[in-house]
Amino acid sequence: MIAAIPSAVLIGVDATPVSVEVHVSNGLPGFTVVGLPDAAVRESRDRVRAALLSSGLSWPLRRVTVNLAPSGLRKGGAGLDLPIAVGVLVASGELDPQAVAGTAFVGELGLDGSLRGVAGPVVLAGALRGHRLVVPVSSAREAGLAGRVEVRASPSLGALVEQLSGRRPWSRPPGAPASAHGAGPGSVEATGLDLADVRGQRLARRALEVSAAGGHHVLLVGPPGSGKTMLATRLPGLLPDLAPATALEVTRIHSVAGMPLPGDGLVRRPPFRAPHHGVSPVAMVGGGTTWMRPGEISLAHGGVLFLDEMGEFSPTVLDALRQPLEEGQVRVSRARGSTTFPARFTLVGAMNPCPCGEGGAPGACRCSDAARERYARRLSAPLLDRFDIAIRVDRPGADDLMGTAPVESTATVAGRVAGARRRAVGRGVPVNAELPARAFGDTAPLDRRAVALVERQVRSGTLSARGFDRVRRLARTVADLGGDGGPVREEHVREALLLRCRRDLLLGTGLG
Amino acid sequence: MSPVGAAQAHAAALAGLPGMTPSRLARILDGFCPATALTAVRAGAHPADRNRRFAEDAARVDVGEVARRHAREGVAVLLPDLPGYPAPLVGDPGAPAVLFASGDPGVVDGRPRVAIVGTRSPTPYGCQVASELARDLSAEGVTVVSGLAHGIDGAAHAGVVRGSTDGGAPPVAVVGTGLDIVYPPANRELWGQVAARGVVFSESGLGTKPHPGVFPARNRIIAALSHVVVVVESHHRGGSLYTAEAAARRSIPVCAVPGSVRSRASDGTNGLLVDGCAPVRDAADVLVALSLAGAAGFTRRHGTSAAPASRCAGRGSATGAVPSLTAAQHAVLQAVEEIPTAFETILVRSGLSIAATAEACERLAERGLLAEGAGWWSKRH
Repeated sequence: MIAAIPSAVLIGVDATPVSVEVHVSNGLPGFTVVGLPDAAVRESRDRVRAALLSSGLSWPLRRVTVNLAPSGLRKGGAGLDLPIAVGVLVASGELDPQAVAGTAFVGELGLDGSLRGVAGPVVLAGALRGHRLVVPVSSAREAGLAGRVEVRASPSLGALVEQLSGRRPWSRPPGAPASAHGAGPGSVEATGLDLADVRGQRLARRALEVSAAGGHHVLLVGPPGSGKTMLATRLPGLLPDLAPATALEVTRIHSVAGMPLPGDGLVRRPPFRAPHHGVSPVAMVGGGTTWMRPGEISLAHGGVLFLDEMGEFSPTVLDALRQPLEEGQVRVSRARGSTTFPARFTLVGAMNPCPCGEGGAPGACRCSDAARERYARRLSAPLLDRFDIAIRVDRPGADDLMGTAPVESTATVAGRVAGARRRAVGRGVPVNAELPARAFGDTAPLDRRAVALVERQVRSGTLSARGFDRVRRLARTVADLGGDGGPVREEHVREALLLRCRRDLLLGTGLG
Repeated sequence: MSPVGAAQAHAAALAGLPGMTPSRLARILDGFCPATALTAVRAGAHPADRNRRFAEDAARVDVGEVARRHAREGVAVLLPDLPGYPAPLVGDPGAPAVLFASGDPGVVDGRPRVAIVGTRSPTPYGCQVASELARDLSAEGVTVVSGLAHGIDGAAHAGVVRGSTDGGAPPVAVVGTGLDIVYPPANRELWGQVAARGVVFSESGLGTKPHPGVFPARNRIIAALSHVVVVVESHHRGGSLYTAEAAARRSIPVCAVPGSVRSRASDGTNGLLVDGCAPVRDAADVLVALSLAGAAGFTRRHGTSAAPASRCAGRGSATGAVPSLTAAQHAVLQAVEEIPTAFETILVRSGLSIAATAEACERLAERGLLAEGAGWWSKRH
């Protein structure tokens, strides 16, 4: 007898439907899986058999053949355990075919017959629209996010058989934890990271604000202990909630990567990723065998990618960032196929300007010019070029720590950021960092005094043509933050000049 | 350039052997004429090379080619017993057994000589002081001796070269590498100018590359060549303190330029002052140390008159005496310390907005009162 059970497998951040065909025939007892299964799928033979037996169901002492269609596609993951088990039950007559008609199954089996959650239920459910979908209890809530799919949850194989034949009610998915509700821009409830915790560092705080408002990548240059990490972790709090489309995209990516999703399942807040500098190129951009896993840059999609000690990352990893930074997505190609991951994030880099740790302070740093130059070269010029903002961050002095000046909280700054972002959207770009240079005349006109200031800088050789474009985008954001949608004024340009990325910041002591 | 004689060629051949150090060379040449010493080393019979470390290399060396190479490079080979060897080094306990010179070794004689040395990672303050001190001393006819290194040494030589196109005393440099290996490469132009106007000495044979051992060793020659040693900026246990030590052993006075107590680059020099070295504020203080003050007729900057105008402006700004500054510019100027100051610090101390602080900094830079490098702001003196 034959049974065909619908299911799905992950390919990158997408899923593709798979039909699990099970044939039980007379012949020497055996169990074969065909249709390009990977190791995890081949192992499911043993799991399925054990799960059936421990659930008190009988294993057919006949020849069992499982085909995973389409057979040309390589299939990975343990999510096919459940459809194979159901297929065997139907094909061997243990389960009424009518009971499973129009029902898809996804889930991993334990040897005791329990159902275990799988990665990417949101995406898998999306590929199985039009079916009733049965998933393990722990995956049910996420699967329900896809919408237009009737999701049923079951705790174990034994219970499932009873549920399918109507002898037992379907399980209720676990309720959403209440804590994450209400987390919005400027809300520090979820993370506990408030910008007000940062003492002093006025320039750095401003740089974060401008970065959040304009989507500008930031490079923080300073010695260890100066608070670079503390600052970077506060950036996501300044960003507005993700737009609905992006939120679903981010949720899919996180779901596929097996990351825990927030309370109601939908990732609404910009994510923050801080991979260690030992990260491999594949872990950074995504890839892997059989089942393409999103990399750190995709996990940071819609949010912030923080690279601490940028100089310590391998040059291959850093240069792999260049194309996604430009295009907002990364195409990972392997012999077996290729897939595209979304990867639009704000890059925050942190770096020491020299190996000695004194941060290149003139007179204090003992590194030779050559050593500093070598250290700075670890960031290739094209990558350094992606940073709009670069500032020095130094250990706060006694003046700052003892200072009683009121410090703005994340909520206050996030309010200004939201206003500035709305202005950018009014110009037809998501953020000012993406303003095309040819349209500057309309989008970021300079007033007379601003033009004079820029001219002085260009004449004195301190501002290049490329730097000029950067300054105009930054100045536009600074003006937007001030609630000023008109022409860019001198003071905006001045602040942009201060924040803009300059290579000499990395070279430490510039002495004459 | 004087032709390279037989004795010089043999001595240069010995000095140029791979792995040769100044102390080993001194033992090899001690009591032998260079030709005899080379023959003995070749035969493995030299008492200072019993384990025949240099025998093989010495056997391969072509003395004639060595002589031609030095003539080609314009490098003179000076030996202690022969004319041309710098008089101040004769009788010095650490006198090099062979000294290579590029330029005119004669400029060393007959003038007061002051060493200006310091750290390789100075502050702009240290560079300016070294450069001005060297310029003024040179203009007073004092020969400035230094090491052509990064930082203070280079700044001192640059001060001599830039300051006196005519009439100034010629500069003297003592370097650690072979005279055909310019180190640091950034000082190539300066190196050529010093050789052209004065002399560059080295005790290392041609082709000797920079390595950590050669620099402390050459510091003793700088000290031995000088009447007074001035340390401009030195870190705690900095290399220039070796020069000060070598000078102290020779009873040569050591002076130090005071620095901010917050400046790491002045830890060593401030320590020297605590130990009793004379402080140096300007060239006049050095001339006093040289017991030449009266003869030179140098006008003291701290006196009532004749201080250069540019310095007045720099000094005045620190006390708020410069007219026509806005309140913001005043506040910013007050916030900038003697050591390079980060923008963030200026921001905190001035209490101004970011845009206002940036504007004040830019205006002050335009007026030449502040200078910026790599995000650090410092006062111009």
